[in-house]
Amino acid sequence: MKKLNDRFQPVITLLARLILGGVLLAAGGLKVFKPTDSANAVAAYKLMPTELAHLIGYALPWLEVAIGLLLIVGFMVRPAAVLSGLIMIVFIGAIASVWARGMLIDCGCFGGGGEIDPSLASEVRMNYFIEIMRDLGLALAALYLYFFPYGKLSIEKAAPSTKE
Amino acid sequence: MAKQQVKSGDNVTRWIVIAMVLLVVASGVFFSMISQNNKENESLAALGGIKLKPAITSTIDPENGSAIVFNAGLPKVIDVWEDPQCPVCKNFEDAFGDYLDSLVREKKATVRFHVLSFLGDESVRAANASFCAADEGQYLDFHKALYAVQSPLENSGFWSNETLVAIGAKIGIKSEKFTKCVNDGEKVDVVKANYDSMPKFGVQGTPTVFINGKLWERTNPNFDLGEFSAAVEAN
Repeated sequence: MKKLNDRFQPVITLLARLILGGVLLAAGGLKVFKPTDSANAVAAYKLMPTELAHLIGYALPWLEVAIGLLLIVGFMVRPAAVLSGLIMIVFIGAIASVWARGMLIDCGCFGGGGEIDPSLASEVRMNYFIEIMRDLGLALAALYLYFFPYGKLSIEKAAPSTKE
Repeated sequence: MAKQQVKSGDNVTRWIVIAMVLLVVASGVFFSMISQNNKENESLAALGGIKLKPAITSTIDPENGSAIVFNAGLPKVIDVWEDPQCPVCKNFEDAFGDYLDSLVREKKATVRFHVLSFLGDESVRAANASFCAADEGQYLDFHKALYAVQSPLENSGFWSNETLVAIGAKIGIKSEKFTKCVNDGEKVDVVKANYDSMPKFGVQGTPTVFINGKLWERTNPNFDLGEFSAAVEAN
């Protein structure tokens, strides 16, 4: 397992960067010029005072785009990975909390958001599960990038390895 | 797992990048807030199109969820349940508002407006102001003005009492009584009574319409005036 990782690490790192960065860039890009929808979507979670929720709704898309770009070009990968990992954990917590409170909303992950008609309850719950699994996968990619931020096609290069 | 080592000596670059990311996020937030505020203020400035029609008195009916009732006692009864902040209610108003107005003004039907407030504080304030306008005999036009300026962002801070008084003033409701009623939240008890009556009538969302007590369910995905007027006239 360790040998396998040694051999393929640069490629795995590249893939993890492209997947995590790509998802963040897409998610942010779809929301960045629809700030009103984004602010409404965050407020729909009912996790914090409305004004704070709106502020976060305005900020989040830009943050996602910025981190996504850093990951894709391979610059400051480790801090970007830490931040995106933290964001994913917050997303997972938020969706789980909505699910636990029996609310029916669109996560607004890629735009949209807000309450959903009760007739679609079972689909919405299925979506919650899928979204949590997806964010968990992305959090694992972020974790990998924390340990191995340097790989192929990256602006940053690893320091020459200092074997003990 | 052994972490990969960081290349040393790039501290300056690191801080520059962090500052740039923060700058991007901060300017994005600023840009979004300004554009939201501008949209709201522009919609308010554009309110001139609504000219106040003759006052028409309404009553409050405690038997029917404390709704605002026009033409009580006619054989045809239409119940409209709305929240002033609900975006679909705006679509409903855009499509059917004038038709409902004509039913009221031409005394063709009893129309009961249930003004709900489950979307937050700004709905409560707007509903309060709606009942204040009803006291002036101007519910219909105030209600139209509210939807004309409805912010796409719920609870954005736009519908303060100050703005609600300004909306009234823009369309010609200028009495001191109205201003006081809005500012003091004089109608919050009636607003609450409307909200509390939802389960009794089986209302779960807005807009909900009953024609002679029967729930109207549209088949057209949009609000189709022909479909609605046919349903009203058939019953």
